[in-house]
Amino acid sequence: MMCAMTLVRQYARSVLSAKTLLVYSFLLGFLLYMVTPFLIIFFNSFGKGWYGMRWLPQEWTLNWYQWAIEVADIPEIMKNTLVIAGIAVVISTLIALPTGWALGRRHIPGKELLTALILLPRMIPAITFALGVAKIFYGLHLVDTFLGVALAHVALAAPYAILVLSATFESLDERVLEASAVCGASPAQGFFYVILPLILPGILSSIIFTFTTSYNEFTMTLMTYGPHTVTLPVRTYLAVGEGYWEVSSAMAVILIIPSLFILFLIQRQLQPEKLVGGFKGV
Amino acid sequence: MSDYMIEFVNVTKRYGDIVANEHITLQIKRGELMTLLGPSGCGKTTALRCLTGHNHPDEGRIFIDGQDVTDLPTYKRNLGMVFQNFALFPHMTAFENVEFPLRIRGLSQSERREKVVEALKLVRLEGYGSHFPRQLSGGQQQRIGLARALVYRPSVLLLDEPLSNLDAKLREEMRFEIKDLQVRLGITAVYVTHDQEEALALSDRVAIMNKGRIEQVGTPEEIYERPGSQFVADFIGLSNFLEGTVTAVEGETTYLAVDNLSLGLATTAGARVGQRVLAFVRPNEVELAAPGTMSGPEVLEGVVEKMTYLGDKVDYRLRLGDRLMLRVQSGGTVRFKAGERVAVRLPMERCRVIGGGKA
Ligand SMILES: Nc1ncnc2c1ncn2[C@@H]1O[C@H](COP(=O)(O)OP(=O)(O)OP(=O)(O)O)[C@@H](O)[C@H]1O
Ligand SMILES: [Mg+2]
Repeated sequence: MMCAMTLVRQYARSVLSAKTLLVYSFLLGFLLYMVTPFLIIFFNSFGKGWYGMRWLPQEWTLNWYQWAIEVADIPEIMKNTLVIAGIAVVISTLIALPTGWALGRRHIPGKELLTALILLPRMIPAITFALGVAKIFYGLHLVDTFLGVALAHVALAAPYAILVLSATFESLDERVLEASAVCGASPAQGFFYVILPLILPGILSSIIFTFTTSYNEFTMTLMTYGPHTVTLPVRTYLAVGEGYWEVSSAMAVILIIPSLFILFLIQRQLQPEKLVGGFKGV
Repeated sequence: MSDYMIEFVNVTKRYGDIVANEHITLQIKRGELMTLLGPSGCGKTTALRCLTGHNHPDEGRIFIDGQDVTDLPTYKRNLGMVFQNFALFPHMTAFENVEFPLRIRGLSQSERREKVVEALKLVRLEGYGSHFPRQLSGGQQQRIGLARALVYRPSVLLLDEPLSNLDAKLREEMRFEIKDLQVRLGITAVYVTHDQEEALALSDRVAIMNKGRIEQVGTPEEIYERPGSQFVADFIGLSNFLEGTVTAVEGETTYLAVDNLSLGLATTAGARVGQRVLAFVRPNEVELAAPGTMSGPEVLEGVVEKMTYLGDKVDYRLRLGDRLMLRVQSGGTVRFKAGERVAVRLPMERCRVIGGGKA
């Protein structure tokens, strides 16, 4: 009897470990699936003569980066990209602060419908939306201006910002603000000592989301850019079209540097769960 | 210097059609703990918010320490307040929470440090300064709330159901702790609760509120022993109401016809024959005995309809005559079972008349 029990237990344990193994192999497979393209681009950007079935390039070189910087004018294009992202962040935040406040703290009839409408630009296919925007912008002479491209990005970035900020403002406890007043804090002191520290993480995550949205945006830029407003994603795409695989790989690597930097910032300063929590199921 | 620390003069506050406070007039003495007691929605919080300045009364004035504060913003009123949901600043440690009012008042760092340490000691949480609110239990959070409200020695301490988010045992413990602190510091306090036991245990005086009005103000003993209205008698403790017509007044005894029963009461001034009277008696003041063992004008007979054993006491529901139901609680063992006949004595001096009865 005793023996049978032990056997059963051992069997259970082996099944368990098989399960664990399965989970790990799935995770590993997924990780490979995600990382492999990065690795290929990375090697491609530093390698020479990497064709056919080789595991690694024959030779290592920095030529492609030199080309990207000197011939394709990447520093200028990076500047465009960052300026456009900056403008998009400022405009999105300015729109999202009052809108998020209204959605998060007031009882507005038809709130659900409003939220759905705000999300509309994110729901319909980007190319459809971008076409419409382009048509309007041609009429307004906004094509090939920093403001124009940034505004096109705002349509996609602001909904994120509004959702994050309205969740942030919604979680502000009225009674905590009342407590600060009873403690003797004037409205201004209450704002700086209590409200601001409580909403700062939300504002930061909203800024990060809008920034990355604009920085990574491709479709909306493609329909609104011009010679003066080429951004890094678009330039990378164009380089592929021109047949320079290695140079576009170098650009692609440069493209991810700021994203990595932001990821590092998020890891250090904010808990990612908190940022995602801000979405409340969206 | 005014005799009163806090005065409500004819304060009315409406929310649309709802009159949350109606002509509230109330004086609270220096160093006194006054409780606002009443059922949910009777306007206790509203009255307190008028005092803090979070509400502006539609009519009437409010004075703190002789000064008219009706139009003064909250932050200039020098109040301390403890909140039902604690309302600590979640981004500050316990120490920083208590320090906050001192920082606002521009005290130097060494002064702040000294006072915060003292306040944390006062609420017996010396070692917890570096904890964040979410790392503290409900009782500890509320003690930090208390320390934050007291650290700057405000002129008045306000407490809005400070214990209702705590479990029963802790609630009772902290009740005495709060009372002890209030007495030791000699601070005037306004305490809001709908828990009558808490109110009786803590208060110097109690203001009973009902539907936005103050029904009665008095010491715990006064409102328990001499309730001024049926509402108060009903709300404070358990009561049996006896409504009837005076049939005769003979010296010390007034005879009352309640339904088809005749009951003797101790005579109160001005009892007239034919007058409608409402009297009440507490369930634990009624005596029970075997039928036929007691006699007198205050003795009736009845049947036990329901008996409930409650451990330290037994609860009986009796039927007297055709309709009159009487609730009786007596200590000790079960003496009567459902269906048994009992003699019921309603001691004359314990059957007290409320006002003139209902019209
Ligand atoms: N901001 C408000 N807007 C509209 N009506 C309100 C508001 N605040 C309170 N009321 C109403 O005013 C009345 C008194 O409310 P109040 O909060 O003062 O009651 P309370 O005695 O504190 O009750 P509780 O014991 O439940 O806390 C209630 O009928 C309530 O619905
Ligand atoms: Mg209340």
